[in-house]
Amino acid sequence: MGKLEGKVAVITGGATGIGRAAAKRFIEEGGLVFLFGRRQNELDAAIADLGPNARAVKGSVSNLADLDRLYAAVKAERGTLDIVLANAGAGSLLPLGKITAEHIDETFDTNVKGTIFTVQKALPLMGQGGSIILTGSSAGTTGAPGMSAYSASKAAVRNLARTWAEDLKGTGIRVNVLSPGATATELAKAALGEEGQKVYASMTPLQRMADPAEVGAVAAFLASEDSSFMTGSEIAVDGGLAQI
Amino acid sequence: MSYRVENNGYGQKLAGRIAVITGGSSGIGLATAKRFVEEGAHVVITGRREKELKAAAAFIERNVMTVVGDVSRLEDLDRLYAVVKEKHGHIDVLFANAGAGTIAPLAMATEAHFDQTFDVNVKGMFFTVQKALPFFKDGGSIILNSSVSNMLGLPGFSAYAASKAAVRNFARAWTLELKDRKIRVNSMSPGPIETPALETTTGLTAEQAEQAAAQFASQIPMGRRGKPEEVAAAVTFLASDESSFITGVDLAVDGGMAQV
Repeated sequence: MGKLEGKVAVITGGATGIGRAAAKRFIEEGGLVFLFGRRQNELDAAIADLGPNARAVKGSVSNLADLDRLYAAVKAERGTLDIVLANAGAGSLLPLGKITAEHIDETFDTNVKGTIFTVQKALPLMGQGGSIILTGSSAGTTGAPGMSAYSASKAAVRNLARTWAEDLKGTGIRVNVLSPGATATELAKAALGEEGQKVYASMTPLQRMADPAEVGAVAAFLASEDSSFMTGSEIAVDGGLAQI
Repeated sequence: MSYRVENNGYGQKLAGRIAVITGGSSGIGLATAKRFVEEGAHVVITGRREKELKAAAAFIERNVMTVVGDVSRLEDLDRLYAVVKEKHGHIDVLFANAGAGTIAPLAMATEAHFDQTFDVNVKGMFFTVQKALPFFKDGGSIILNSSVSNMLGLPGFSAYAASKAAVRNFARAWTLELKDRKIRVNSMSPGPIETPALETTTGLTAEQAEQAAAQFASQIPMGRRGKPEEVAAAVTFLASDESSFITGVDLAVDGGMAQV
C-alpha cells in the first residue's frame, strides 16, 4: 500500500523532467495524477508511459482559462483534489544590461503569476489534509550570472509559501517549497551539454547532478502524511549546492 | 506484513540499516527509534537514565539495544560505539538527538547553565559524530537535531538557541568534510512538540509549561504543537534513500513557526 493511496494530484509542467518523475512516483504510491502541460505530444508520451492512473490536460499556467479547464476536468472526474505540485517554470538567461521587458514578463507570467493562479484556482477543490508543493530553485537563494529574472521569480515563489501558510491557516492545507539544484532532466542535459553538466556536478557537494527521480521522491514526501507538521518551509534538493 | 499495512502503510525504507539514536529514551528520540524499527532498521538507543531506557526498549519491542550514557562524557561515547561495533560492526544512520535546554534569562544565567547547555548540545553532538565516523558506512546519513530556535529569538533560552544555531552550522561544515565518503549530513529543526521535556526538563512550573504550550500554538501557523511521531516521520525521510540528494539542509518540522 502506497502513501498516496486514493489521493488525487495535479502536476503542472508534468509531462517531462521533474514533473514527470514526480508523477511516476505519485502513481507508484497509489495516486491519480492530472498532468498539465503545453505540448500535446509530450503529454501523450507521458500518459502512454505512466499508465491508467495518469490524465492529461493541455494548457499553459499563464493562461487562466486553461487553468479553469484543468480544474474542471479534475472536478468532473473526482470532485476533490488532495495534492498540487505547481511545477511549471520558465527560465532563460539575460545579463543585466540586456534584459528586456518581454523576458521579465515571460519569466514572471509563468513562474509567479502562473504559480499563484495554479494554487488559487485549486483551492475550491481542496480541504483538510491537502498538500501544495511549489517548485522553487536553488537559484532562489543564490546569485548566478544572467539569472536575475529567473532567480527573482523563484525567490518570489519561496516567499509565496510563507504568506500562504498564514492564508491557509485553519484549512488543514499545507504549503511547502521544493527547491531543486542541478537536476539531470533531458532539458537540462541538452541545455548544459557535457561540459556544463560537469561544472554543475563539481560545484555540488554531492559531486553530481540529481536524478529527477530523487526530486520526485521528495515531492512524494511533501505530498504525504509523513510531512504532516511541515508548512511554509523550503526543502532544498540540491546536493548541498546552496546550503553551505 | 499486515502490521505495516495497518500501521499507516509504512514501507521498509530502512531495511537492514543500523541506526544509533542519542537521547532515545523519550520524546522525539523514542518516536524516531520506533519508526526506524517499523521501517526495518536495527536501532541502538542511548540515554542517561537506565530505567527510562529499558522502558523505551520495551515500547520499541524488537531490534533495539540500549546503552546508558551521557553524550557530554567522551568515555560514555567510547563505550557506546564499542558496543555498536561489537554488536553490529558498522553504522548506517546516526540521529544525534540528545539535547538540553533550561530557562535562564540573560541577567540571571549562571556559568553552570551555560556550560551544561553547550556541553550537551554542542560538544556532545560534535563528539557523538566524530566518534561514530570510524564505523560509519560510506553513503550513510547523519541527522542533527537542531531547533526552530536556531533562527528565532526566544527570551530566557538564549544559550539554548545559540547552541542550536551552532548545530545547524555543523551540518554545513560536515557536509563538505564528509562528501568524499558520500555521507549526507542534515539538521532537522522541530518547533514546539508534545514531548515530556517542556514540563520536566526546562525548569518551568507546570502552569508555566501549560502557558508556554498555549502561546506556542498561537505562534504556529498550523495552530497546534507537533507530535513526536510527525518529527519521527521527517527524520526517517532524512535517514532513508528518499532524501538521497539532500545534504547540508536544515529541515524545519515546525508547523510553519519559523518559516513565515
